[in-house]
Amino acid sequence: MGLMVATKAFFKLLTNRDLSASFEDFANGKLTVPAAIEAPAATPAASPKKPKANPTPARSDAISLLAALQREARLLDLVNESLDGYTDAQIGGAARDVLRDTRAVLERMFALQPLTDAQDGQSVETPAKFDPAEYRLTGNVSGDAPFNGTLTHHGWQATRCEVPKYNGSGSAALVIAPIELEIK
Amino acid sequence: MKYIIGIDLGTTNSVLAFAELQSDGSGKVQLLSLPQLVAPGTTESKSSLPSFSYIANPAETGQGAYDLPWATNRSFAVGELARTRSADAPDRTVGASKSWLCHHAVDRRAAILPWNAPAEVPKISPVAAARQYLQHLVDAWHDQFPDSPIADQQVVLTVPASFDPVARELTREAAIGAGLGENFVFLEEPQAALYAWLDQQGDAWRKMLKVDDSVLVCDVGGGTTDLTLIKVEEEGGALVLKRSAVGDHLLVGGDNMDLAAAHFVAGKFAENGTELDPWQSVALWHSCRMAKETLLTENGPQTHPISILGRGSKLIASTVSVDVDKSALSALLLDGFFPACAIDDAPQRQPMSGFQEIGLPYESDPGITRHIAAFVKQHCVENGDVVLPKHILFNGGVFKADGFRNRMLKVIGSWDKKSDGEQPTEAAVTALAGGEDLDFAVARGACFYGLNKHSGGMRIRGGVGNSYYVGIETAGLAIPGAPRPLKALCVVPFGMEEGTELSVESNPIGLVVGQPVSFRFFASKTRKEDRPGQLLDRWTDEELLETDPLLTTLTVDGTDETFVPVKFDAKITELGMFELWCASAVDGQESARRWKLEFNVRDKS
Repeated sequence: MGLMVATKAFFKLLTNRDLSASFEDFANGKLTVPAAIEAPAATPAASPKKPKANPTPARSDAISLLAALQREARLLDLVNESLDGYTDAQIGGAARDVLRDTRAVLERMFALQPLTDAQDGQSVETPAKFDPAEYRLTGNVSGDAPFNGTLTHHGWQATRCEVPKYNGSGSAALVIAPIELEIK
Repeated sequence: MKYIIGIDLGTTNSVLAFAELQSDGSGKVQLLSLPQLVAPGTTESKSSLPSFSYIANPAETGQGAYDLPWATNRSFAVGELARTRSADAPDRTVGASKSWLCHHAVDRRAAILPWNAPAEVPKISPVAAARQYLQHLVDAWHDQFPDSPIADQQVVLTVPASFDPVARELTREAAIGAGLGENFVFLEEPQAALYAWLDQQGDAWRKMLKVDDSVLVCDVGGGTTDLTLIKVEEEGGALVLKRSAVGDHLLVGGDNMDLAAAHFVAGKFAENGTELDPWQSVALWHSCRMAKETLLTENGPQTHPISILGRGSKLIASTVSVDVDKSALSALLLDGFFPACAIDDAPQRQPMSGFQEIGLPYESDPGITRHIAAFVKQHCVENGDVVLPKHILFNGGVFKADGFRNRMLKVIGSWDKKSDGEQPTEAAVTALAGGEDLDFAVARGACFYGLNKHSGGMRIRGGVGNSYYVGIETAGLAIPGAPRPLKALCVVPFGMEEGTELSVESNPIGLVVGQPVSFRFFASKTRKEDRPGQLLDRWTDEELLETDPLLTTLTVDGTDETFVPVKFDAKITELGMFELWCASAVDGQESARRWKLEFNVRDKS
């Protein structure tokens, strides 16, 4: 396996100018180990990871959420693609599936619920004392709470927060989606 | 014991339900959340564990990518990650291992899965695969309840009603290997589904079911269809439920339907000039499952777009879509899997082309209604007349779409004698309401059964769903080239209760000492009147189904006998296992000299 990694790293260095520059620095002792040298040597299934440095590797939950949205809904592919040159129908065709799967992920992890059961246009009264994070008052706001207004948006809240747990290596902690290679 | 645990070890998904035992014997059934790998290095908790196992390439392991909260340095993964890998790395993924457990043509303790995988892939046996899934459930339990070892709790493990004694024995082996302890009990899956319904109804079920009604439980899982008939009887003024028949093991289920739909839609893509690669085909399978649920809902839309996202990071550029219309998909799935048929239509035996995988003996006739017709005609008979079951309980994810439920009711209703054969008569057969929880009902029902068993609450009676026979070669003149005539000796009658045993009254059979003796073994779901000791001269292939033979070796213990005359003792254990013993027929030696017969599951080809 060592030879495989070395071979793959060699070709990667050959084709990637930034990487080969940093490798040169590394070889000359100017840099500490760049994690990126090993990462591109990925097999299709998993980016190889170093043995765990510590039992609870640090990875932001935000990265885990992005990884789930990409893995299950391919949201990152969609939002990163330039829309120039596509018809609305083409965009819609792709977006339909991505949005459906995105919703499924968000539903599973956060169980989103409106903050109020009231419908748009209904009259809603705030409590006498409220958190501005819960109520955003617009228009002619004067006088003292409680305020009475017409609902323009029901708000959202998460009724659960269960993001996948990461127990992989520190070096891959920022990887959102692995490189995919098809071995013939 | 503090908890009652119900485990549904499914062909495609496994679920664990549990209830904390209250002082009054009651308990609230809930689902255990099951942490599992969803990507290398990433775990997520879900209510069900896909019954798949991924065997990693050595280059992928060693970095902790397949670690779980309770295990390190794994070289395999079970659950969601394995299910998704079954799409892009099928050679390294084990699926449907449960269907292999009752496949008599292969040695189920031999490492044969993934089937047809290249030689370099380390393989596992169907039993080992089952053990892996159970082990995962057990580990997840211990992770969350470290102070309540599962071996000390009352565990109910479900198996298909159609599982034969060998498949049960192998499942038990896997369960013990996974650390379930010796005290778990088996429950048939369709019964578990009915228990889930009873739990949901509370006491109201006594108003919904009447004496002499019967309930057909139709459990269409991912890979198998399981049929069971339950009769409502009266005993001492109270209603009791009795399981009166179970169906054959049918290898056709919801996955076949999704695959058929995917096949059809792939054809539509091909018409538009788009060839799908394997990865896209699986994405298509996934989309088709959702399209099926949308389009086969009675008041659903008439068309549903199916898109396949481009494979690379250029998503929009390479996305392709087609519109699938309701009538075409209905025709394919309803007429393909739930065709209108008469009660006399037997399942077609000729091989059908299409969605078949080499290896497993999938049903040649995917028409589930025809299998049900054969079942009803066989088992719902009173005084020579077919009496349709009053109620149907649907179970399995397929029935989320009401189109399938309605079609079934219509077809079965059309068998009513008052019907003209086309239209069902009014309410000839009705669906038992409830069952919104189709994916988890079996595990929940198993847990509820455990509670009832503990507190002495309502239980479905029934005993074994088969009568069992051993093949005896008759003595007589040997004719060169012709096998000796075979007779079948009934050793277990239909409905023999768990926790009982009996001695089979027969003429003594002389067994050779010191070398293995083998008996052919048969089961029957239809010969319900045969008594132990009865010797059958002839039978049809449909009546008696041969499974794996039984083996034993009579040990020599100092005497110079060359053969010992024996009789059989049969036992159904408390947990529902079948055991057969040979006991010496010499007076006074019956209990001292006994030999247990074991199933020989090795490859017979």
